[in-house]
Amino acid sequence: MFQVIKKIIQYPRVTQDYPAKPFDTSLTSGKPMIHSEKCTACGTCVTRCPSGAIAENAETNTLEINYNACIFCVLCSEVCPHGAVEITGEFELAQMSYEELGTQLKKKIEKRFGRSLQIREVDSGSCNGCDYEINALNNPFNDIERFGIHFVASPRHADMLLVTGTAARNMELALLKTYEATPNPKLVAAVGACACSGGIFQDSYATQNGIDSVLPVDVYIPGCPPRPQAILYGILKAIDRL
Amino acid sequence: MNKQESNSNKIKPNESHAGITALQEEVHARFPELAKSEIHGNTLYLEANAASYQTICKDLNGQFAFPLVSMFASDDRARTGCFNIHTVFANRQSGILISVALPIDPSTCAFPSLCDLIPAAALYEREIHDLFGLRPMGHPNPKRLVFHGNWPKNQYPLRKEFPADQRPDFTDEKIEFTRIDGEGVYEIPVGPVHAGIIEPGHFRFSLAGEPILNLEAQLYFVHKGIEKLIEGKTIEHGFYLSERISGDETFTNSLTYCQAVEKIAGIQVPARASYTRVLFAELERVTSHLGDLAGICQDVAYGFASYQFKMLRGWSYRIADELCGMRFLRSVNTPGGIRRDFIHGKGKNLTRLLTELKKELTETEAIVMHNSLFIDRIENTGILKNKIAVDLNATGPGGRASGVDFDVRKAFPYEVYAALSFEVPVQSDGDVSSRMKVKLAECFQSISLMQQVLERIPQGIVKEEIGILKPYHSAYGLTEAPRGENIHYIMTGENNTILRYKVRTPSFCSWPALCHAVSGNIVPDFPLINKSFNLSYAGNDL
Repeated sequence: MFQVIKKIIQYPRVTQDYPAKPFDTSLTSGKPMIHSEKCTACGTCVTRCPSGAIAENAETNTLEINYNACIFCVLCSEVCPHGAVEITGEFELAQMSYEELGTQLKKKIEKRFGRSLQIREVDSGSCNGCDYEINALNNPFNDIERFGIHFVASPRHADMLLVTGTAARNMELALLKTYEATPNPKLVAAVGACACSGGIFQDSYATQNGIDSVLPVDVYIPGCPPRPQAILYGILKAIDRL
Repeated sequence: MNKQESNSNKIKPNESHAGITALQEEVHARFPELAKSEIHGNTLYLEANAASYQTICKDLNGQFAFPLVSMFASDDRARTGCFNIHTVFANRQSGILISVALPIDPSTCAFPSLCDLIPAAALYEREIHDLFGLRPMGHPNPKRLVFHGNWPKNQYPLRKEFPADQRPDFTDEKIEFTRIDGEGVYEIPVGPVHAGIIEPGHFRFSLAGEPILNLEAQLYFVHKGIEKLIEGKTIEHGFYLSERISGDETFTNSLTYCQAVEKIAGIQVPARASYTRVLFAELERVTSHLGDLAGICQDVAYGFASYQFKMLRGWSYRIADELCGMRFLRSVNTPGGIRRDFIHGKGKNLTRLLTELKKELTETEAIVMHNSLFIDRIENTGILKNKIAVDLNATGPGGRASGVDFDVRKAFPYEVYAALSFEVPVQSDGDVSSRMKVKLAECFQSISLMQQVLERIPQGIVKEEIGILKPYHSAYGLTEAPRGENIHYIMTGENNTILRYKVRTPSFCSWPALCHAVSGNIVPDFPLINKSFNLSYAGNDL
């Protein structure tokens, strides 16, 4: 017992204050960015990209990265002959599926979900990377419960479904049933490249290209896998608590 | 062929290849009817016919005592006019793989089952049937494995004529679970969506009173068709898919892939890259084991220990960030070496982080393993008998806790493991406690290995060009993943692409072993037993 108390005193609080304090991204590898002034649109990265995330924007004739499909493998930065792709540390990439919300709807969301949010996680065909990162939200560094956000055991208790994976064929029915079992109003978050677009597993006989082909999605959280802070950012963004 | 033999790693003495010619002669003397026998590196390729196939496999497994480590089919109709079944055995004493090929006539699409002779063959044969439509004749239970009731009959995705992106309509076939009859016997269905944050799988428990009589696990909920997706893709593209087979085994899977590619290319990885790979592989092992230890403690509601291990796991992620900025060690490896020099200039900082990790883990172990309440809970829980572990080829910490004294890093030394000193912890009781002890001991071994790497790593380049691979060459990659023996098979196609990729992760073999280990235990102990193995669903389902 003495040893346990000693440890508790030794590590009184290891929780990081993200998002109140910014997360140090000096070491991390995040969003790739194409610098249009250096890019000649030669197409090397387009053909080499394993998840087909880079395409030419027909209007501007520049190359653009679709972050929902990007698997953050940094290959584009390695193969670019002009050094036009930079790997930044940026990880807060979550996007809502709709444009700017009206104030009325914002108020409604805050009223319904703003205080305490109950989340059910569903793996619909991931590699388990995203699931480990969601698990890490419960570790002492992230401690998601400090926001009043809990992971619950049943969809019937949940306000939000946090879905990872590509909606694999064998999981499709279970995913739909879980969605139906979640009481209204509910939010759906797609976590990781697979859930957002199918990622590297798109166009397979056993997958769908993203869970939005099965469910309506409210927030997309790109990454392969997204860091725990990136998932936390997405969840807070969805309930308008940033 | 000789190219691969000369490819033997310069750093390690390759005495393992010495015995292979002797073995070839011995096998030939016993089975003169063999159609083909070739040596490539440490692998002996044999070709059997339908009449001799069962006898050869039986003798290799029985008389020679080589365990069955993989079995898969390939569609070679375009080249040779037939399918092939590849049955792979391992001689773990001398580090030799024996791959027995059996050509299958497309007009019959049937092959003799090995189940009666080798129980571990049962799952492989069901998988072959689902993916290729080749029927195992004499299989006692040939029901579907990969596909559930929603997949139509007579559609076999790994046949070459099946387009990778074709999604057949959903059907509604019923798949029966094993039924236990008797007075008071009832069933509990669990999953696929579980209460915790874990991957999906359906567990069907049959019970009488509290103890579990039988557990049948229905998996493949996260089957994504990786083996099909990779066919026809470039070596570079395939690498990224191999990294995403199982998230927490990213590095080992990519390493196994690279190892097979490098064998085919016949190149030698630079020493600095080899050392770096060991560092990453061991870091992944520590991270994975720390997560398992946290899970075991959490499942018995031992909060303090669980959070302590979770904190340590956070520290190991910190080391990963320090090294490469990727928590899951993605985009580190590459066929031919590693991407860039990840260790340069970080040695001092890494040594400090490792020392801290080791100190804290030692202190935590002392507290946790002296808590008698906790020990009471994990001892004698979920016993995996040695005989079952051996029969089903359960490897890794799960097998070693049941007395299977085998580690790929010792038996088939790759990279620079032969030059580093480490021990393989083995326990004999086979319960949750033994698995926990093995994992704890392995953490210390891995930390020591990482420290040795930092002390000894030579200077130099970190990457060798692999060039264009010759078509229709094949090789096996073999590594020790955090969960055990990991085997990947690659056959190259035209234009630097992949023709066939077969992944057999340790989870595939250990799932049936887990189902045996829970028999006689109570259902509330299942999460604990499950966590002590912590098998990968994604790595099994592919």
